[in-house]
Amino acid sequence: MKKNKVMMVTFLVPAILSYLLVFLYPTMRTTFMSLFYVENITDSVLKWRWVGLGNFKTLADSTLFMQALKNISLIWLWGGVGVFLLSMLFAVILTSGVKGKSFYRSIIYLPNVVSAVAMGTMWMQYVYNPKFGLFKKVFEFLGLKKLAEVQWTAPEMLFAALVIAYSFGMVGYFMLIFMAGIERIPPDYYEAATMEGASVVKKFFSITLPLLKDVIRTNIVLWSISAVGFFIWSQIFSPLNPEPSTVTPMVYMYQLVFGNNMVVTDRNVGAGAAVGVILTVIVVVLFAITTIVFRDDKIEY
Amino acid sequence: MKKLKKLAAMLIAGSVLLAGCGTKPEGSSTSGEPEVAAESNTASEETKSEGGLKGELVYWSMWNQTEPQGMVIEEAINDFMEKNPEVKVEINWNGREIRKTLQPALDNGQTIDIWDEDLERVLKNWGNYALKLDDYLKKDYPTTNGKPYEESVMGSLLELARYYKIDGVYAVPYQPFVFTFMYNKDHFAKAGIEAPPKTWDEFTAACEKLKTAGFVPLTTDDAYVDTLIGYHLARAKGYKWVEELVKDKTNTLWDDPAVMEMAKSYEELAAKGYFSPTVGANKWPAGQQDVANGTVSMYLNGTWLVNEIMGTTGPDFPWGTFAYPTVNGGTDDLTAANYGAQAFQINKDTKYPDAAFALLAHLTTGEWDKTLAEKSFGVPVGSATDWPVQLAEAKDLFGSLKTCYPWAAGIQADTDKLPVIASNFTKLISGQLSAEAFVAEMKK
Repeated sequence: MKKNKVMMVTFLVPAILSYLLVFLYPTMRTTFMSLFYVENITDSVLKWRWVGLGNFKTLADSTLFMQALKNISLIWLWGGVGVFLLSMLFAVILTSGVKGKSFYRSIIYLPNVVSAVAMGTMWMQYVYNPKFGLFKKVFEFLGLKKLAEVQWTAPEMLFAALVIAYSFGMVGYFMLIFMAGIERIPPDYYEAATMEGASVVKKFFSITLPLLKDVIRTNIVLWSISAVGFFIWSQIFSPLNPEPSTVTPMVYMYQLVFGNNMVVTDRNVGAGAAVGVILTVIVVVLFAITTIVFRDDKIEY
Repeated sequence: MKKLKKLAAMLIAGSVLLAGCGTKPEGSSTSGEPEVAAESNTASEETKSEGGLKGELVYWSMWNQTEPQGMVIEEAINDFMEKNPEVKVEINWNGREIRKTLQPALDNGQTIDIWDEDLERVLKNWGNYALKLDDYLKKDYPTTNGKPYEESVMGSLLELARYYKIDGVYAVPYQPFVFTFMYNKDHFAKAGIEAPPKTWDEFTAACEKLKTAGFVPLTTDDAYVDTLIGYHLARAKGYKWVEELVKDKTNTLWDDPAVMEMAKSYEELAAKGYFSPTVGANKWPAGQQDVANGTVSMYLNGTWLVNEIMGTTGPDFPWGTFAYPTVNGGTDDLTAANYGAQAFQINKDTKYPDAAFALLAHLTTGEWDKTLAEKSFGVPVGSATDWPVQLAEAKDLFGSLKTCYPWAAGIQADTDKLPVIASNFTKLISGQLSAEAFVAEMKK
């Protein structure tokens, strides 16, 4: 028994040490930092100036930061609804025994293989282009004049454009996870239901959905984390200055910490750290809510 | 189990201690910061071997190796090393990422002798890391024809360097630019416009003529849309007022008649169809690409535009430049503009200040200054150097400048307010918002 403990310690030390150094220490330092005014991210602790909750108050007073929070909630909601419905639909269709399953699966997953920067630039500069864009051409071809005239990248449409472009890529990712979940369900259930004369819809709501509960929960948590950390797409859609329709807390934090792209402005790394703290709290709360809503009543099959 | 817990506690304590050790050097490096000038010339004795310069310099560049500027600078540095065989220069191509990478590296004590970026940025952000250069400016160098350095470059740029950090010159400007209207001279000639507009009325008249002649007079895109409103308001009441306006948390300054007049002016431009129909949806570089393709006549931008869209326009594009017109009853005239430069800085802790400055003189005067201007279709620093033909009109403008606006004439002074201004102004110029609705939005 004693020897065993030595072994445990030996194997655990590297993991615990690196966890403490790489995760716990930065988290604590950031939390600590959020209570100070810090001008530059590499400033030594001696230069920090205590402001207490001042940084959080600054953020609460900033309309742009509030807009950023609103944006990620809407991305989470609208994008989430769209992505989950579509990916679930595709997953069900592809696991129902259609021909060329792996081909379709690859095609739908493909956007995830391409770098987000390349994808975003394609949407921004080509698909949504008001002169020669894909949307314009396709809608013109279909004779939908009103839709062809939509200026997707104008301020009033930009948010919708962003959510559509982002969700497009995410569908494949969640579809894969749903497919794995569905394929894990023993086929006997479906066979039995088919023999009893259950329809496809009935089978979906009575077998697939209930048995996918923990997969759905995982996906919601994954989606929430990606929505809270929304950054790259927002940067691509507004590369130089944040815009009200695309700004997210991470973009706001980036600007606070490293300064604006175009002009030399005051930096406030402490407030940036406060954004980080707020985001962490949001993720933890969302995780807790999801866990409560999808209580873990283990279904064994 | 208890033992395990103890061990874990010890580990935590240990890691905190370790982390504590890690931060110490940071603290000690900053404590030495105030002694700037004291050491500026002490090293010079060692760096000069008989007759020649000596040293190993590390240069962090704001350019990428494949950009015209990067290519010329690399060639020039190779030439410098040939002429000074005992000087070795190592280039680290950062690109514009240097805005984020340089300061942490300097704080970390990495050896970086020379770096460059925008003049305003290097002085405001990195001024405390830089060597005071006033003594070096008074000396002459092989490329200055026997004159002191400061007399062989554009004086207004050194003045600008002093403006941002008043106790001396802490940067060597190069690649100057002025932010102004860039236009297509062919369009103007075909529309029968004899001279570029100087007042707002002349400007709208020119727009009308261009439109009648079948051209789209004006465009912009998300990257530069705010410069229009910034310049207009600065022409009316000066850039300091613009900065006050955007920083005003009560939003009462937006009631000023100058704001409504500006909004009305742009509402009119939009209503008369002087803006490109896609202006609301233009994402950079959509606007400037329209200029390059010859469909749009005017675009408020920097003189760097010539180089930026050279790939589309070719060198024969009929470039013209004119200053943002004056507005009725405004305080500012055509001699005020946002102008500036890129600038080199030397590390105050460098071991080889003489070699470093000699290199900067080599890069910014004489042959290489000229080559850089030619290859990048930019503005040279040397007062005797020829300008590229594309920027002939900009040369006169540069000579007349008296007041330097900040970027976008101050409209970006508050980064929280800017997105709201830019997005609503975009709606105004694309005809989605009326002047009254624009002002109402700004007061929210």
